[in-house]
Amino acid sequence: MNPETLRFTEDHEWVGEENGLHVVGISDHAQHELGDITYVELPKVGAKLERHAKAAEVESVKAASDVYAPVSGTVAAVNAEIEVATELVNQDPYGRGWFFKLSDVQASDLDGLMDYAAYQAFCGEQ
Amino acid sequence: MRQTPLFDAYSRHDARVVDFHGWALPVQFRGIVEEHLHTRESVGVFDCSHMGEFMLHGADAIAALDSLVIGDMVHLAPGRCRYTALLNGSGGIIDDCVALRLSPDEMYLVTNAGPLEKVSTLLAENVPGIVDCSEATAKIDVQGPLSRKLLMDLGFAAVAPVAYWRGGRVDWRGLEMIVTRAGYTGELGYEIFLPAEAAADLWALLLDDGLAIPCGLGARDTLRSEMGYPLNGEDVDESRTPLEGSMDRFIAWDSEFPGKARLLEMREGGDYERLTPLRSADRRAPRHGFEVFHGGEKVGAVTSGTFGPSLGCGVGLAYLRPDCAAPGTPLAAGPRGMEITATQAPVYTRGTCRVKLNQD
Repeated sequence: MNPETLRFTEDHEWVGEENGLHVVGISDHAQHELGDITYVELPKVGAKLERHAKAAEVESVKAASDVYAPVSGTVAAVNAEIEVATELVNQDPYGRGWFFKLSDVQASDLDGLMDYAAYQAFCGEQ
Repeated sequence: MRQTPLFDAYSRHDARVVDFHGWALPVQFRGIVEEHLHTRESVGVFDCSHMGEFMLHGADAIAALDSLVIGDMVHLAPGRCRYTALLNGSGGIIDDCVALRLSPDEMYLVTNAGPLEKVSTLLAENVPGIVDCSEATAKIDVQGPLSRKLLMDLGFAAVAPVAYWRGGRVDWRGLEMIVTRAGYTGELGYEIFLPAEAAADLWALLLDDGLAIPCGLGARDTLRSEMGYPLNGEDVDESRTPLEGSMDRFIAWDSEFPGKARLLEMREGGDYERLTPLRSADRRAPRHGFEVFHGGEKVGAVTSGTFGPSLGCGVGLAYLRPDCAAPGTPLAAGPRGMEITATQAPVYTRGTCRVKLNQD
């Protein structure tokens, strides 16, 4: 996905709309900070996620981190490919490295998230 | 932060620099996994100039060092290296280090960066005439199955006969260096100690033809973790004795060392925790601080852990109750009960460090 069309959280997740579902992943900045990703644990399809709740887990060589749901919704699909090819998260965080897709998302949930420019500034200031 | 003589070279290789015991050192260049695998398959070059080096002259100095460490320094044969540990009065590990008997009259001691100030003071107070060479010395580790080829191609003919856990002086292009083969990666490799002002030129030459890549602290840590080697300050420190640190085979019980009475007492009792290598059932890693359980009962804690790129699973070290430290013991770690197994060093068994060299 084109990162300029996505919304971002302060925890470095992104969310973008595609064919009526909301796709979630971690940002290029996040994958760069984590370094080589070695393990990904994804939510179950059908799980109902609350905004800001823990949704997934990533481990890099050096550390483990939680991934939070940027918006509330129901898990409609997960990217099983990144469970075996974890390097995709590093190589293509906005494309093949996506984590899960949500249905039943309230558009108003997106309002509080940063657009690409704001997120870039946020990362620059960190 | 302190900088090594190679600090300026890091930026040419896109290094990510971190604070390591007050030193600005690269945690990675291209990426930890790539650097790790390249070292296992080809050759990696590491800047270890932050470590400490000391020169000892004469029998009195060597005997004085002998009285501070667990190993027998007096009878170490010229050309040989020995892994040992400096202890405090109660047998706690101040530092684990490597000694090289350079000649009948000289010994070279290589120590870690973390406790360097304390070690330097301890040695200065107890070892007559010891010279701290740390500031003037750079240390470049060339590790991996092709390390010998790389060095030979650069004219280091004198490294050819250096066998595992041996070392000595090497003259290279008129520059006197010390070279050992006591690396911490499990691979065939060489540690080159040279004057600080010559380090940048050698570093550039080593990387010139593209065979070797620069490697950071991250890869060094994953490589040593796969070997089950302890990291000073993380896995061993003054709160632990060499027995707890599983250094039994490095203890010269016939010689005197600080805290010997306590160690004898521990050995007699036998009921002490042992630093034990672990491997996890999947790609998740046991992490520092994770509690370790056996049958629901807490039996220890993880001191260091990471993903092991050559093994494709998590690896780590934990202090475990003695009845749970035997290889193969099934254990659980961390808040989510990650499945792990006690194992033995080396966890990664295909390293090339013990390979017999063609002496031609």
